[in-house]
Amino acid sequence: MKGLSPIPTDRMLRFLVFGLCLVATVPAQTQQAPDPPTNQAEDNKQLLQRVQELEEEVKQLKAQPTAPPATAAPEPEQPRIAEAPAVNEIAPRLKLNVFGDVGAQAYNHTPDTFLFGSLDLFMTARLSDKVSTLGEVLFIAQNNNVIELDVERLLLQYRQSDYFTAAIGRFHSWVGYYNSTFNYGEFLETTTDRPFIYAFDDQGGVLPMQEVGVTLTGKIPSGTMGLHYVVEVGNGRAWGPGVEAAQNNQDANNGKSINGGLFLRPEAIFGLQLGFSLRHDNLSIPGPAVSETIATVHGVFINSNYEILNEGVLVRHVEPTGPVFRTTAFYTQFSRRFRAWRPYFRYQYFNANDHDPLYLYASPNDYSPAYVNAFVGRVNGPSTGVRYDFTQHSALKLQYDRISERGLATVNGLTFQIAFTF
Amino acid sequence: MRRAKNVGRAFTAIVIWVMTAATGLILSVGPLGAAGDPIVVIVNSSNPVNNLSMGELRKLFLSDRAKWDTGRPVSPVMRAAGAPERTQFLRVVCGMDDADFDRYFLLAAFAGKFPTPSKVVDSARDVRRIVGNSPGAIGFVRSSDFYMDRDSGSVIKTVTIDGLAGTDAAYKIRM
Repeated sequence: MKGLSPIPTDRMLRFLVFGLCLVATVPAQTQQAPDPPTNQAEDNKQLLQRVQELEEEVKQLKAQPTAPPATAAPEPEQPRIAEAPAVNEIAPRLKLNVFGDVGAQAYNHTPDTFLFGSLDLFMTARLSDKVSTLGEVLFIAQNNNVIELDVERLLLQYRQSDYFTAAIGRFHSWVGYYNSTFNYGEFLETTTDRPFIYAFDDQGGVLPMQEVGVTLTGKIPSGTMGLHYVVEVGNGRAWGPGVEAAQNNQDANNGKSINGGLFLRPEAIFGLQLGFSLRHDNLSIPGPAVSETIATVHGVFINSNYEILNEGVLVRHVEPTGPVFRTTAFYTQFSRRFRAWRPYFRYQYFNANDHDPLYLYASPNDYSPAYVNAFVGRVNGPSTGVRYDFTQHSALKLQYDRISERGLATVNGLTFQIAFTF
Repeated sequence: MRRAKNVGRAFTAIVIWVMTAATGLILSVGPLGAAGDPIVVIVNSSNPVNNLSMGELRKLFLSDRAKWDTGRPVSPVMRAAGAPERTQFLRVVCGMDDADFDRYFLLAAFAGKFPTPSKVVDSARDVRRIVGNSPGAIGFVRSSDFYMDRDSGSVIKTVTIDGLAGTDAAYKIRM
């Protein structure tokens, strides 16, 4: 027994009390819980284990702000794109927009008629961060009822920065504001047609609206003035009996047309644009060559409710030994939106010399009666109408024109047009 | 006596006219001092820009400016059409409604300008997330929606507009 230490009396006493308490409580517990004592021990073990698990979880939660477990971090959820951009994407790179217009027309000198206006397929693609391309194919009804296919624009553009963009191909020239802003696609125009001075060459227009060449555009550092420049070099317009106006594949001479323009968009008056352009070309026509200079000036203001367009054009034709021929033109257009309705008014004036050496080859004016085969010269008069956007992408227009032409009776006409895009 | 009656009628008419005009004016102006929740403009924290003028902000969202001074491409992002903060932002900053905004980009594309339209998402959370993930992105959310959560963390920040923060009384872009 040597080696065994005696049990202290107070410890024995405590052990005895604990044992008596245990004996006293066990019957009570056995009455309350039907499980045998072995299951109770198991439960206690499980409870202890659960407490330990919960303690672990609390520890983890407390530690989360400083060191979140890698496995707990959810995968970043991709934001959902709610809608397609305004231009429809039909392939990873290609975007397509279609414009169309149909309608009816009643003029006092021609039979009343329904109209197929045009179907315009407009495509763009971004080839890289800096390179983009644009194509526009047009189906348009001619006066002889034939619907002709016309590749209106094809352009490859390189954008170095906001200050320098270069493009090459066939494009609408920066002669005036209207021609560079509104192309085909009547939906984007307030009126049913372009101002006469900016009519396309196959519709009685005399200005070079299309160009094949290169164009440089960009901003000029000018603070809040918003100054921009445009420079264009191209083949210029061809004149002659039965020739295509745009010199797509062969220039008639080595001289190139040069067009330059400046415009500003001051930050302080959003929607205001003031600018001018100056263009020169030496034209090869049957007979002596003609030097052509075109100057334009514009002041426009467009915001959500108002549209105020004003442009003036001066064209100067000089033969080497002959006289100088001047053409003057202007138009002013005002419209105000009232919800989906937009009433508008436009007055336009165009006056060319009857003996102008180039306009001798021009097609008859757009408003001239069908029996008039020659270019008329002076055209002027008011147009008024209303545009109603019955959906976000379709508009109905009704326009009244009263047009005077030199030597001809005044024309009164009503045009109804539905223009849309999809 | 008759003169006194006429004067009285004229006085009554003037009072009614003034009250009518004042009522119309009050109704058209709305409750005085009822400034709405500010709409704050957010950029990625790595973007050194801390202030923009209203004109610069307009250019960024109308794709009239393609790159930041750092050379990074500008990537605007906003909620889908119909979201109240989008409607209000376009009205105050661009002077447009949703239809004008769409037409602006259509016209710009048709004019050969190759604009970059805003990325459009469903929620303010997605706006924050895209701005947080893209160094060149810029967006806007209600100030109540601007908070640092697990998605954006500390990677987005607000910029002042014309030197004013959303907390300033003179801040213009509000609900």
